[in-house]
Amino acid sequence: MEQDIEIEVQHRDGSTVVAARGEVDVATAPALRDGLEEVLDRGIGAVVVDLTGVTFIDSTGLGVLIGARRRCVEAGRELRVVVAEPRILKVFEITGLTELFTIHPSLEPALGA
Amino acid sequence: MAVDMSPDPTGPARSAGAAAGAQVELTLSVADDLLALARLTVSAVASRAGFDVEEIEDLRLAVDELCLQVLQGRRSGRLVLAMAGGSGCIDVWCRYEGTEDARPDGPDDEADLSERILDALVDEHGLFEDDGRPGAHLTKRRALAGG
Repeated sequence: MEQDIEIEVQHRDGSTVVAARGEVDVATAPALRDGLEEVLDRGIGAVVVDLTGVTFIDSTGLGVLIGARRRCVEAGRELRVVVAEPRILKVFEITGLTELFTIHPSLEPALGA
Repeated sequence: MAVDMSPDPTGPARSAGAAAGAQVELTLSVADDLLALARLTVSAVASRAGFDVEEIEDLRLAVDELCLQVLQGRRSGRLVLAMAGGSGCIDVWCRYEGTEDARPDGPDDEADLSERILDALVDEHGLFEDDGRPGAHLTKRRALAGG
C-alpha cells in the first residue's frame, strides 16, 4: 500500500536533517521512526527534524518525536524541530510539546542554533 | 468500505443541531488508509455543516485521535463511524467491531497526547462500550460569530 509520506535524510553544517513530507499518522509514523532510528544508530551531532512539508500530524507522530528526543538525550545529542505550518505548530502547542522541543520556524535557524 | 449516506432519524445523531443535517455512516476495515478516509469524510460533513477551514482542520485531527482511542493498536477488524452534522454542530461516533484484543503497548505519552488534543479541539468527548464493543464519541459546535 502506498504511504503518503516521504522521508529524506541529508547532512548539513554538521547536523543531520531528517525531512518529512506528507501526513504523519498511525500508517506513516513508522516510516518517520525508521528514518530517525537509522540516523540515531549512527553518527554524532545534532538531529534536525524538518516538518516543513508535513501537512498533518497526530499523537502517533508526536510519539515518534518524543521517542527520538529520548534517544538523543541519552546519547548527548541535540534534537531540533522545524515547524513552519501554523496548524502543525498548533498541535505542538495544545499538547504542551513546545515546552519539550526546541522548535524553529525554518531550517536555517535550526542549523545555526 | 461501506458508506450509507441516507438520513436516518433513528441514527446516532444525538444533538439537536446535528440531527438537522447530513448523516453518514461508514464501515472501514482496519487498514493503512483507515484514518485518512475518516479524516476525509469528516471534512466533507463538517464543511456541509458550516464549519470554517480552521474548525475543519481541528475536526480532522480530533476524529483521527478518536479512532486511535478506539483502535488501541488493533490491526484487524472494522471501525464503524457515524457522523451527523448540521446547524453548526457535528457529532461523531466510532465503534470497533472485531475479535482482536486491544494492544495498548504504545507509549503512555501517546494516550495522554490524544486526550489533550481532544480536550483542546472539541466540546465533548468520551469513551463508551456498546454491547461489549469499545467506542468513543465527540461533539463539536461552531464558534459563535462576534462577541
